[in-house]
Amino acid sequence: MANPLADPVLLFFIAGLFASGYLLANGRGKKGLEGTNRMLDGSLAFATTGLLGSAWTWVIYNDLVRNPLGGEFCATEGFVQCGSVIGDPRYNNFFGISWGMLGFTAFATLFFLILCIRMDPLAKWSEQYTNYAWWLGLAGVPFLFILVGIEVFVVQHICPFCTIAHIALVGYLVSVWMLRERREISAWY
Amino acid sequence: MARRRRQLEPKGKDEDVRMTAGLITAGVVSIVIVASMFIAPPANVGPEEGSLAPDFVASAYNGGNWEEVRLSQLYDGRLVLITFLDTDCPHCWTEAEYLSEIFDGTSGEVMFITIAVELQISGHESTREEIEAFRDKTQFGDNQNNGDGCYSGRKNCAERPGAPHSWMYVDDLSSSIAGEWELPGTPFNVILDGEGTVVWNQAQTENHPPGEDMGEALLRLLQEGE
Repeated sequence: MANPLADPVLLFFIAGLFASGYLLANGRGKKGLEGTNRMLDGSLAFATTGLLGSAWTWVIYNDLVRNPLGGEFCATEGFVQCGSVIGDPRYNNFFGISWGMLGFTAFATLFFLILCIRMDPLAKWSEQYTNYAWWLGLAGVPFLFILVGIEVFVVQHICPFCTIAHIALVGYLVSVWMLRERREISAWY
Repeated sequence: MARRRRQLEPKGKDEDVRMTAGLITAGVVSIVIVASMFIAPPANVGPEEGSLAPDFVASAYNGGNWEEVRLSQLYDGRLVLITFLDTDCPHCWTEAEYLSEIFDGTSGEVMFITIAVELQISGHESTREEIEAFRDKTQFGDNQNNGDGCYSGRKNCAERPGAPHSWMYVDDLSSSIAGEWELPGTPFNVILDGEGTVVWNQAQTENHPPGEDMGEALLRLLQEGE
């Protein structure tokens, strides 16, 4: 694949990030439960984009393990590529588990928490779940810094699909932070 | 007043939706995993026969400088003999001689790679200089039992039996490769096919003809490949 930025899968994920951001911004401008639900849709969309983006990096990982000289699903040359990041056995796993699978598991947990709140935003436990969603999302931030640090300073290549998952986590955290703020100012419903 | 406020306060649903949310999440996760595995099935990676050999990036000495190599980029269609050894291990001392004989006997049909590890035993402390001397059979240490040199620090590396080796020696003094390859001890041999699949693992004797050693396995595999 010559130009990873022209990859339709990548474009799909980029569209997912924009759609998530739009839902979040749109919900913030609305009052009451309607706005809260729209913001929760935004959160859910960020979690879904992160989940699918992570799963795609797992696909690329599996492909590169079999074909280390050049996979089918992402470029292995140029500054923006996957070969030097997902394809490098020193950095592509955490104690033997691929980063893609770890990200997928983390985003699945975040997806579940937000889905629970979205299905019943007025439930007694929804405030507690919003806090869980915040703290669990925040737990991913140190890993995000480590991975971006490895990309920028160690291998000096950027993996586009990893970046999608990283942006999805940041977007998710922003959305949950806004949701918590909405509770604090009693604008939840 | 408080009573009226309680009445106005919206209430959540009567049923607990968390179970439904859990089922939806499980469904989404299952679909994504199945689709991902369909697109690119996970490879079976490990030192067992039939698995893809664990890849590594490490520094290797080929007689000149130490250079970074990646195992998967070395495959060229030939069989690959990977030998783990410790320059201080007495059994590796004799294995090195056997490796020299096999190397001469296989006349370039096999790629040899030796991975130098440091067993966690007193007297087995090693360095890159010691690895170089073991490979090249050059002066390193003396024949006093003072920790210098090879063979638990009791022999000058130049006295290693067999010819100097002309293939690469990989530095795994940190034992990171040994860990992934589940190294049971040294010397330890694994043979890979030309694409990196493990075809012979010294520890899996139940899969081999009785009493077959690494040299015999190489000859058998070379004959099978003809």
